[in-house]
Amino acid sequence: MPKSIRLVIAVLVACVSAALGLSLTYAATAPRIAEQDRLAEERSLQAVMPDADDFEKVADAALLEAAAAAAGPTDLKDVYLASEAGAHAGWAIKLASRGYGGPMQLVIGLDTSGSVTGVSILSMNETPGLGTKVLTESWFIEQFVTLPAGFDDADVRALDSISGSTRSANGVRNGVAAAGRVYAAVLSGEEGGAQ
Amino acid sequence: MNEWIRTFRQGIGIENPLTVLMIGLCATLAVSTQVQNAAFMGLAVVFVVTMSNILVSVFRNAIPSEVRIPIFIVVIASFVTIVDLVMKAFVPGIYQVLGIWIPLIVVNCMILGRAEAFAYHNKPLLAIADGLGMGIGFWLVMVVLATIRELFGTGAIVWFETTLVRLPAGYAPPSVLLLFPGAFLVFGFMIAGTRWLGERSAARAEARACRR
Repeated sequence: MPKSIRLVIAVLVACVSAALGLSLTYAATAPRIAEQDRLAEERSLQAVMPDADDFEKVADAALLEAAAAAAGPTDLKDVYLASEAGAHAGWAIKLASRGYGGPMQLVIGLDTSGSVTGVSILSMNETPGLGTKVLTESWFIEQFVTLPAGFDDADVRALDSISGSTRSANGVRNGVAAAGRVYAAVLSGEEGGAQ
Repeated sequence: MNEWIRTFRQGIGIENPLTVLMIGLCATLAVSTQVQNAAFMGLAVVFVVTMSNILVSVFRNAIPSEVRIPIFIVVIASFVTIVDLVMKAFVPGIYQVLGIWIPLIVVNCMILGRAEAFAYHNKPLLAIADGLGMGIGFWLVMVVLATIRELFGTGAIVWFETTLVRLPAGYAPPSVLLLFPGAFLVFGFMIAGTRWLGERSAARAEARACRR
């Protein structure tokens, strides 16, 4: 057998057995991973709107497109319709905003009047001890609920930042400001449950 | 058996991958800002380097030398993906913190280096010793580096939301320790320290040999 064919066979065998091993591992872990992802998302939604008991992903493509345009330059991921005991209670907006160490996934809860009910950080890759102060200094996240209904970018800029983690704090602030723009541009005109 | 122990100890001491061979530094310097991250990252590396050493060593006669590098990479990438999936499924909290650094173990040159320099030329048992020794050597240095950086950079060591050690409140932590220059500085001192220890023990061994 010529040498070149032997080499091809060796690489082929290695790749096929690797693929086999990986697909087995994937099959074994996939249900658990999906479950963990769902739990994490549920926890973050519940954290930004503690009173709501049901969240439904908005599937209206035109609405999402308009919302994504308003959310720029942050990257809008999902919009959820929150309801409490069957009545429309507000919105949860999931988006990715640029921090110091890459995108920070944020969930921002808004009530029907457009004021912030809570902000949670789903994932981030900020410098531990510096950028992560946006999470450990709890007053920072909590101050967003003091924003007035129908707040705009200037209202968000007026809030305090954290010295030493300017860019991470700006990441969160830009995310909240984008959520405010989405509300003003799209959600304020939407009737809850009208879809 | 003696050779097994010697190989194992080499990885921790005189051939330590980080302070002596200085390979696989990029991930080390980046992740060593928190003891908790460093410890789990180190564990993942111990697993991957040992498993890939075993596999490469077992099939060393079947792997043609012309295509050994792509095959090593496939083996390493598979184990890293397994670690990645398992961590995602069972310890999502830690997985979230380590983020991109787990997949990046694939390109950690220490693991490819051990497959190429050791496992490809040695029997599986020795390859296990080398993988474990190198892995634990890596883990130790990484955890020590992270301990220094976290303690003096943030003023406390936190392990899953429990504060283990806290420096007095008057201490103002210099944030440079948490940034990349700080990693290089602390690591430089650690290399100097291990060199000094190594030279001292070598001088002692020589003195003993002369007396005889």
